[in-house]
Amino acid sequence: MATVELEGKTMELDEDGFLQNPDLWSETVAQYFADQEGLGQLTDEHWKVVKMIRGYYLQFGVAPMIRKVVKDTGFDLKYIYQLFPSGPAKGACKVAGLPKPTGCV
Amino acid sequence: MPGVGLPPLERNLPPIVLRNYGKWLDHEEPRPGVLKHVAESGEACYTVRAGMPTNARVSTTLARKIADLADDFAGGHLRLTRRHSLELVGVDPARIDELIERLRGLGLPVGGTGRTFRNTVSCTGWIHCQFAATDAPAVAKAISDELYEDFLTERYPAKLKISISGCVNQCGEGSTADIGIVGIHRDLPRVIDEEVARCEIPLIVSVCPTGAIRPKPPKSVQVDPERCIHCVACAAPCQGMQIGDPDTDGVAVVVGGKAGNSGNGPAFAKFVIPYLPNSPPRWPEVTRAVRQIVEVWVKGARRDERIGDWIARIGWDKFFEKAGLPMSDKLLDGYVLWPMSARTGVRFHW
Repeated sequence: MATVELEGKTMELDEDGFLQNPDLWSETVAQYFADQEGLGQLTDEHWKVVKMIRGYYLQFGVAPMIRKVVKDTGFDLKYIYQLFPSGPAKGACKVAGLPKPTGCV
Repeated sequence: MPGVGLPPLERNLPPIVLRNYGKWLDHEEPRPGVLKHVAESGEACYTVRAGMPTNARVSTTLARKIADLADDFAGGHLRLTRRHSLELVGVDPARIDELIERLRGLGLPVGGTGRTFRNTVSCTGWIHCQFAATDAPAVAKAISDELYEDFLTERYPAKLKISISGCVNQCGEGSTADIGIVGIHRDLPRVIDEEVARCEIPLIVSVCPTGAIRPKPPKSVQVDPERCIHCVACAAPCQGMQIGDPDTDGVAVVVGGKAGNSGNGPAFAKFVIPYLPNSPPRWPEVTRAVRQIVEVWVKGARRDERIGDWIARIGWDKFFEKAGLPMSDKLLDGYVLWPMSARTGVRFHW
């Protein structure tokens, strides 16, 4: 379990680098994750995706389905992969401070 | 496209199979562990089958030795069967004896064809899987050792397929085996609040097949002990739902399953022993029960009668009596209880 110091707070990350406590997220934290992912400075389009995903998670308690992300942001899946090369789950959800998405079985 | 989808068949099929693809006439089993397929062209393809350790898990040393045998006897081709047996396909019939000696030299049993004990299928069990109620590969090993001789010679009325599932998800296909061992949990999952707080709680609630899980504010869930059927579904979306308890976990024994169309056709196996404890490393209670059931079947079944078909002929009462197993009304599966089961489940309404 790794930890990182950001904004004077110690944050725990899981073995895939996802934020363990979603309440500690901020835009600074998002940019930190973006740097880890090699995304450079987040653009307005990055923020559009991140804010949609985080808003959905805060409202419903689950990560949005990819079709919903595509519909609400207006970006197709290919473009989302261009913005976040690791993909909507591993890339965008991590930057948005969501817990690691489950899958399999 | 490189790296995507199935590798090209042409590169991986032995030449004799490729030449006669879709044009096979018949097959024989000249001796245990040897198959002979005859094509329309007249060509005969000989296959030698050897049993493998559970999940075909071998050391790199053994893997290299097997690869050497494939190079020497089968033109560099080898395959694993659906039950994880090793097969060398397209062997020169004049060299079959030599190959069998070499396989035995590696400690591998040659057999598992015809009316024999077949290689045991197993899931990965608690070595790798968070759902498992048992060490499925170890149970497979214990049973395979118990019935080892029956892999080598045709003593049985029909083929015998034994499969081990670590849990009711049946990745180990216990429910469609002649004899299946199914890992079962008998207690509720433990809810670890700090872990559940990091999970997607709506998923945990919705995945439960009996609706036994409710949110517990601020950020956890609770499990209704009256509705929970200890099925492991909630452990999938969240590692804070911890199923698995060394004191209450164990295995159940099911019999009569099969996938094939012979006899009465495909069937799920039925519960005959509701619980046996996990007794590592050799699970003696399980091997004893399996031996009991096998011997009764060997004595009573007709030629080519799989366990399920044999039981269908003699009746379940007779089976329990002959096998010396206690019977209870909770083991009945006449689908009489199905409407009640269905209404307890949340997956559909009518």
